Amino acid sequence: MDQKEIYELLAEKLGAAALGFNDEGVEAYADVEPGGIAEACTFLRDDERLAFDQLMCLSGIDWDGYDENGKGKSVKILGYTDEGQPEVSDRVGEGDFGVVYSLYSHSLRHKFTLRVRTPRATATVPTVSKIWTTAAWHEREAWDLLGIKFEGHADLRRILLEEHWVGHPLRKDYQMPAMWDNVPLNGQAYNENPFPKPEPTPDQPTGDDPAEG
Amino acid sequence: MSKNPTIPEGYDIQREQMLDFKVPEQLLKVLDADGRSDDKNFILTTVDEVFNWARLSSIWPVTFGLACCAIEMMAASATRYDIDRFGAGAFRATPRQADLMIVSGTVTAKMATRLKLIYDQMPEPKWVLAMGSCAIGGGPYFKYGYHVVKGVDLLVPVDVYVPGCPPRPEVLLEGLMRLQDKIRGRKGKFITPKWITDYAKKIPYRK
Repeated sequence: MDQKEIYELLAEKLGAAALGFNDEGVEAYADVEPGGIAEACTFLRDDERLAFDQLMCLSGIDWDGYDENGKGKSVKILGYTDEGQPEVSDRVGEGDFGVVYSLYSHSLRHKFTLRVRTPRATATVPTVSKIWTTAAWHEREAWDLLGIKFEGHADLRRILLEEHWVGHPLRKDYQMPAMWDNVPLNGQAYNENPFPKPEPTPDQPTGDDPAEG
Repeated sequence: MSKNPTIPEGYDIQREQMLDFKVPEQLLKVLDADGRSDDKNFILTTVDEVFNWARLSSIWPVTFGLACCAIEMMAASATRYDIDRFGAGAFRATPRQADLMIVSGTVTAKMATRLKLIYDQMPEPKWVLAMGSCAIGGGPYFKYGYHVVKGVDLLVPVDVYVPGCPPRPEVLLEGLMRLQDKIRGRKGKFITPKWITDYAKKIPYRK
């Protein structure tokens, strides 16, 4: 089925929760209110004309620096300096978070893409893990790396990083850690010798000299 | 580091004296008395040389693949490159039977604690070979790698660095031969050099 026709069916079902349709880009997508995403996904899966039985991917987006119309400029992402120390900035991220759902129907062989936008302060989207079970891990990953909470998720834990990691690393205002759990994550300058050899003294052999025992 | 100023730096006088060792005539006479006419029918060596030769000829690496470099390490141990020609083909599944840890890949913060545990479980003498850009200094993850240890030498002392992303099997074999050179030149007891223990104390993870 054509993308436009799928959206018309969806808009008829959702009403005001369907915000718009865009097919100018590489892949067409529909904007949906976060509150209506569970209803939209249930409709897309269960309706016989659509039959989206697979969630191919669930992605999170950080629109830091961009407004609702996609206007703005890219922000500088903090990393490590050439000396290996974390870059520090006072900038607080602004701009919404987004979640993108890529759907596929095995029986009808068509695709569709949904997109929701949630404010940065709340960053909460209803879960679709009860509709497609595979979303459970995708949502855990989006929570782990971007900090998007999924309301109603049965087991919203971190999936890649350790449980007690602080922060969400793929946020654009994330500051890199210098150390975590006594593991050094800051680097060393390339011109610095990591093994400075001390001058040998008679009472303390260095162990490098073959003549010493 | 000879105290004698006439001997140039790096000149191994002990080794030269050993190579110039003349077989005593009394020993030759004993052999002649036993009916041996061939005076080359024996070998003179030192215990150090024998031990080093045995150690460098059977370096057993621990089975420890971390990332794509591990694929090249597997290729090096397969038939075409055959790391077993150098005696390092017996990859052991336990660090307790291993001499060498080939850190083949990206060391993440999660893996760092495990890597340190494996290194501590290996018996002395033990060696570490940092394979690839990530293990040497973080590689492509140096700038934005929030989860990557920027060089495995921040965790354990490294003997040989093998650059590449990933290094080809030939380069790994070259690094292995340089490690063999290092073992061959070693003399005396196998004590951990002081500069390694001093450096290890500075590593924050050890605190």
